Amino acid sequence: MTEAAEARADSSTLIAEEVLDFQRNMTRRGIIFSFTGYISEGILKALGDALRQKIRLESTDTKTVNRVFSVFVEQVQNIIRYSAERIEHDAEPPVELSSGMITVGSENGRFFVICGNVIGRQDADTLAARLRELAGMDSDELRRFYKEKLREPPDEGSKGGSIGLIEIARRASEPIQFDFQHISDAQSYFVLKAYI
Amino acid sequence: MAVVETIEHEATDRTPAVQFDFGAGTYRLSGESYPEDAANFYGPLTQGLRQAIEDRASDEVEFTVEMIYFNSSTAKALMNMFQILEDGAAAGLTVRINWCYHEDDETMEEFGEDFSEDFEHADYRMCPLS
Repeated sequence: MTEAAEARADSSTLIAEEVLDFQRNMTRRGIIFSFTGYISEGILKALGDALRQKIRLESTDTKTVNRVFSVFVEQVQNIIRYSAERIEHDAEPPVELSSGMITVGSENGRFFVICGNVIGRQDADTLAARLRELAGMDSDELRRFYKEKLREPPDEGSKGGSIGLIEIARRASEPIQFDFQHISDAQSYFVLKAYI
Repeated sequence: MAVVETIEHEATDRTPAVQFDFGAGTYRLSGESYPEDAANFYGPLTQGLRQAIEDRASDEVEFTVEMIYFNSSTAKALMNMFQILEDGAAAGLTVRINWCYHEDDETMEEFGEDFSEDFEHADYRMCPLS
């Protein structure tokens, strides 16, 4: 064996070990799939189809499938619309990619959907206040609040996202969890986790 | 300016089938709705409906919604169209809205009930399907 071939053989062993370890770690955490990187509407569609097929096969009832799917769609569309890491290009068709992470899994018989993305520090305060407000509401209050928001003209710069968060809270089986990590003077990393 | 008589779209995986006949006053949306750009998809429909109601393109209006799933931006678009319909009914048009849903689908039933609260003049009916 040449030196180069030996080096390749060594490194592939390492890669397999590392990747398998990574995959096993994800499986242990109940993760069905996780996507990190630039997300587009096309990826939302493809992942959404895979998600529906996968959880339908687990003979999950239709109501749960629909709830998980709805939470997934709202979370991914939030990343696409609000991630501070984005690329826009006036190509034909136009390119719009936003960076973030979306993970779907199950734990003790319940599904969860997690999303993470970078946002502006100032937006973090507004978002935290909104989410705290939602966390304090029961299902009837959320239902009324959703309706109230539908009647209002959208908040400045919200692109309808405040209703998306209420939709997530309505479909979740417990108050949605959220957290922020300051990553620079200008930006925070935002994480949201909903159990269905 | 030429008046748009009808708008028809076949359903896609993420947009509903659309049958809007402005002259006849019959409107129908059915399927799933989570468009890439809800404003882009629903903008022309809302605009056409507003114009037809203002012009009284028909004396009677029947608007049927039969959705399986829709996202929050679609809910906003539906709300906008319902407001136009209720305003039309308040101004004297005969307006009927049919909210059709599968009888086991609690989510769509709840949405139907919530939307019904805003109608006073239009005849709003819940239509459970088996």
